[in-house]
Amino acid sequence: MVKIKKKEKPEPVIPTSSMADISFLLLLFFLVSTVIDVDTGIGLTLPEFVPPSEQKTVPISKDRLAALLINENGDVLLNNEIIAIPQISKTLKPRIISKINEPANKKLVVSVKTDRKTNYNLYIQALDQVKEAYFQVREEYARDRYGKRLIDISDKSDEMKEIKEKIPITISIAEPETIKK
Amino acid sequence: MKFQKKRAATKQQIPTASLPDIVFMLLLFFMVTTTLREVDVLVSFKLPEAKAIEKIENKRLVSYIWVGKDGRIQVNDSIVLLDQIQKIMYAKRVQLPNVIVSLRIDKNSDMGVVTDIQQELRKASCLRINYSSMLKV
Repeated sequence: MVKIKKKEKPEPVIPTSSMADISFLLLLFFLVSTVIDVDTGIGLTLPEFVPPSEQKTVPISKDRLAALLINENGDVLLNNEIIAIPQISKTLKPRIISKINEPANKKLVVSVKTDRKTNYNLYIQALDQVKEAYFQVREEYARDRYGKRLIDISDKSDEMKEIKEKIPITISIAEPETIKK
Repeated sequence: MKFQKKRAATKQQIPTASLPDIVFMLLLFFMVTTTLREVDVLVSFKLPEAKAIEKIENKRLVSYIWVGKDGRIQVNDSIVLLDQIQKIMYAKRVQLPNVIVSLRIDKNSDMGVVTDIQQELRKASCLRINYSSMLKV
């Protein structure tokens, strides 16, 4: 009897050398399509809507009010004095600092008012200055009180809570006037 | 006399078997972190620049309103009229109670349209807003 010799089969393998290429292709796709832009901007909380008939005017003492007015020509008034936009933060800072130890109902209120024709960019620049003033005061407070920088203090810690309580950012967007159109 | 070339006994290949695994790992990272852009922006706009800006930590909370150079307003995927905003945004707010509305407004717009949108947002009680702006360097 002739012994049939079994053909020696090569071990079955799946060629995996192209696997890397395929996954690279996929990787490339996701790399390209990923948007890592973080949304940045100036945060603000709007006041609740109150119908005009129910609106009440609450008098605010001049001492704690910083009224910022921007007209359509780009002139800026801070408490009835003409001011250049880059000066706003410098002017506001001492006023914010002087109110750090006041109770909550005596803190500074910044009111921003614009005309309908005011340029949006100008408004943002002014708002930026106001925010900048507040951030600088907070930064200095954090440094003097805790010896830390503001970014090193976590959002939920007691220290941050105290900073936010001592230096709250109150920016009031004035109710638009219906007459000016 | 024949010289025998001296060669190291080890294989002279870089093992590539684990390469796919490494790449897949990278791939997975990008797949997880990617948020595919789900809307087409139909208006052209240029954001203003500012210094004291904050990051929005949670992207899932953000909802956008665009205002283009020509004053057209876009919410979601379509151009809307001013008086439609309240309804749309209220529906959004019901779904997501602490929604942050990011206003991507062209820097040459008038404040009139901004104020109008803000009034609509107040009526829809979407009170957390964010004026989207670039970092000034």
